[in-house]
Amino acid sequence: MKTPLPSGHRVPSRQFGRRAALRMAAGASAGAALAATPLAQAAAPIDISFWTFDNPQQRPWLQKRVQLYMAQHPNVRVSFQWFAFADLGKKLSVGFATGTAPDGFVSQDWFMPTWLSKNLLAPLDLQRLGYASLDAFRSSLTPAFVAGAVQDGKAYGYPLWFYGYVNYLNTKQFHEVGLDPVKDAPQSWDQLGEVAKRLTIKKGNRFVRQGFKFAMHAAQWTMIQFNPILLQCGGTWFDATGKSTVNNAAGFKAMTIRASIARKYGAEDPADSIATNPIPQMDWLKERCSMFFSHPLPMATIESQNPTMAAQRYFRPVQWPGVVPGKGFSTTYGFNLVINMHAPKHKQEVLHDLYRFIMSDPVDCWKATAPFPLALKGGWLDDPAVKNYPFLHEFIRARDTGVFLPRTVIFNELADTMHRTVQKIMLNNADIQKSLDVAAAEIDRATAQSKRG
Amino acid sequence: MQPPNPSVADRTGILAGRAAMIVRPAMPVRRRAHFRRRIQLWGAVFVTPTLLFFAVFKYGPMLWAMWLSLNAYDMMSAPHFIGLGNYRSLMADPIFWHALSNTLVYIAGSTTLITLVALGLALAVNSAVPGARQCMMLMYLTNLMPIIAVCLVWRFLFLPYGLVNELLHLVGIGRIDWLTSTTMAMPAIIIVTVWRFAPYFMVVFLASLLAIPADYYEAAELDGAGAVSRFRHVTLPLLAPMTFFVIVVSALLCARIFLMPYVMTGGGPGNATRVLSMLIYETGFSYLKMGRAAAISVVLFGIMLVFTLAQMRLFLRAEQSVSR
Repeated sequence: MKTPLPSGHRVPSRQFGRRAALRMAAGASAGAALAATPLAQAAAPIDISFWTFDNPQQRPWLQKRVQLYMAQHPNVRVSFQWFAFADLGKKLSVGFATGTAPDGFVSQDWFMPTWLSKNLLAPLDLQRLGYASLDAFRSSLTPAFVAGAVQDGKAYGYPLWFYGYVNYLNTKQFHEVGLDPVKDAPQSWDQLGEVAKRLTIKKGNRFVRQGFKFAMHAAQWTMIQFNPILLQCGGTWFDATGKSTVNNAAGFKAMTIRASIARKYGAEDPADSIATNPIPQMDWLKERCSMFFSHPLPMATIESQNPTMAAQRYFRPVQWPGVVPGKGFSTTYGFNLVINMHAPKHKQEVLHDLYRFIMSDPVDCWKATAPFPLALKGGWLDDPAVKNYPFLHEFIRARDTGVFLPRTVIFNELADTMHRTVQKIMLNNADIQKSLDVAAAEIDRATAQSKRG
Repeated sequence: MQPPNPSVADRTGILAGRAAMIVRPAMPVRRRAHFRRRIQLWGAVFVTPTLLFFAVFKYGPMLWAMWLSLNAYDMMSAPHFIGLGNYRSLMADPIFWHALSNTLVYIAGSTTLITLVALGLALAVNSAVPGARQCMMLMYLTNLMPIIAVCLVWRFLFLPYGLVNELLHLVGIGRIDWLTSTTMAMPAIIIVTVWRFAPYFMVVFLASLLAIPADYYEAAELDGAGAVSRFRHVTLPLLAPMTFFVIVVSALLCARIFLMPYVMTGGGPGNATRVLSMLIYETGFSYLKMGRAAAISVVLFGIMLVFTLAQMRLFLRAEQSVSR
């Protein structure tokens, strides 16, 4: 780095003899030595390990931003690794157990309570991230994110994407049965049942087309889809003492609604599904069902499975139905950039800078990962490329009205228990109340085990 | 009368002695002892890496898992000793009992069917039916396919309107919810297991069948024995040691089953196909209760130990009968 001479300073040429030259050389050497210490520190190589989940859009964009950061900071080397979506939490647990957890990682929203309960995350320096205060941080982000990332006045997660679920309608099939996909979009659960019934086509006992489908393929999806119904019915997962309340009247009502599409309206065959973990929306994409609750779907996903649907755009995302018509809401969740508590201080500082850099171009983020909305309330929605995106308002509304998944350290046990319960009720026609009683007992057992350590 | 079987140590000594005689027949006693010591030393040198490997990667982790089963350990904080707490809580957990009973049902069902089907296939191949050998090769391919691909393909075959139900429909059988009904999910997994492993054990049976001398059958035929009689009084008794071997080995294989229920049903519907190995995985890596997972693995180890001891006794008995 060149340091300019103070203005007006001139070296008298006639005094510039051999001695003066030596003095200057010595002085320059001393100066260089003094300056070299901080310079060397700044340029010292810093190796950061960073883990995330794989996804066709989100992971490549994140990787691109990390590479850009490294190009601007040649002394920082980020070992960027990614894992299957469902494996990331397990890899991180093993990493923490063996002391090989990364310095920074992307945490799925619902794992935050687990990491926080074990003091594994470092609190974020919000000023370093560009926020004047915690209040400024809170007000700039969607509330459901803040609820999971802020604890005891400290922020532990810096958000990437945050999204809610919407009800995807096949508008062609709506028109086929004389329904208007705008006016007749179901506002309540009863309407959902009635509309699904009209859309259903059966040949004898066999479904040619199911009017609506709930996901049955994975515990996580069972939770995502049952959670808002329970909360809409006024239910909760736990009472103040931590005891499961899923089997109370509200829980029973919620599960009755969940079962009604198949049991009351005959518009769904829960056993007949081609959904897979990578593509849970497969039944809807292959037009085997007319409506399906999903997170915002990238066009690439629709194109890959149903090019005609993508080309002719005969689909429409709308808000979830509600117990109160028009007041439906869905589950929201997201992904946070977090820092390992055990990462050395200088690495934590670099990670703050890296995270700030990653999220410094939200419009680029949206363009690369649309239609997954960001947790940031502003700074990207006014851009024309964002504004004109089809159905954006539905995705943003779903994000802002959504409720988060239960914040509990036994989330995985809870999800597995509810998945088993839904399977018993939907696939084997088990009694709802008895099944919920068994579920509540299982959840309480998991809570007790967790408290024992 | 035959001399008694020499012990392993005696055998080593005899071999070393023989080697010494081969190398130098007139070696003096002192040099012979030195040579024997060198042989033993080299033996120890060669065996040590293997012993170390087993100690580090097999017995060490096993002992650690046993110790861990007496601790509460969430993988993120240090383990703390709780004695038999994990075992006590397992005893009170209906899901554990469900998984244990599923495991035993699965072992019993799969082992029985694998043995019967493998024996039947081996007899068919051995009976010189045209094309039987070619069929054997095709059947054996089921063993070469990656297990994950097998599970995924069968999952789709077992769909309510999948190929299996469509074929059954042709013969007038209505829809069976293979993987989504609590009564049919376990039989479906057993069917896939048999499909996968029976051809392997068929080869084992076939080798045994081919080793039976033809004279026995000729003698039985001269005595007027029919095909059924020959099978009952010649084939089956001579296959008995191999049948026990197949039962024990397939039971051990089945006790460790994980991928089939994990991929095909996820342990469901409800708990219908949740086996112990799946429960270990979920408890350890999904619920982060590693101590409890270790306790379940100790129980599974106990079950497998029973089969292993049975297998060892069987081999000893077979060895004795051969030496007699």
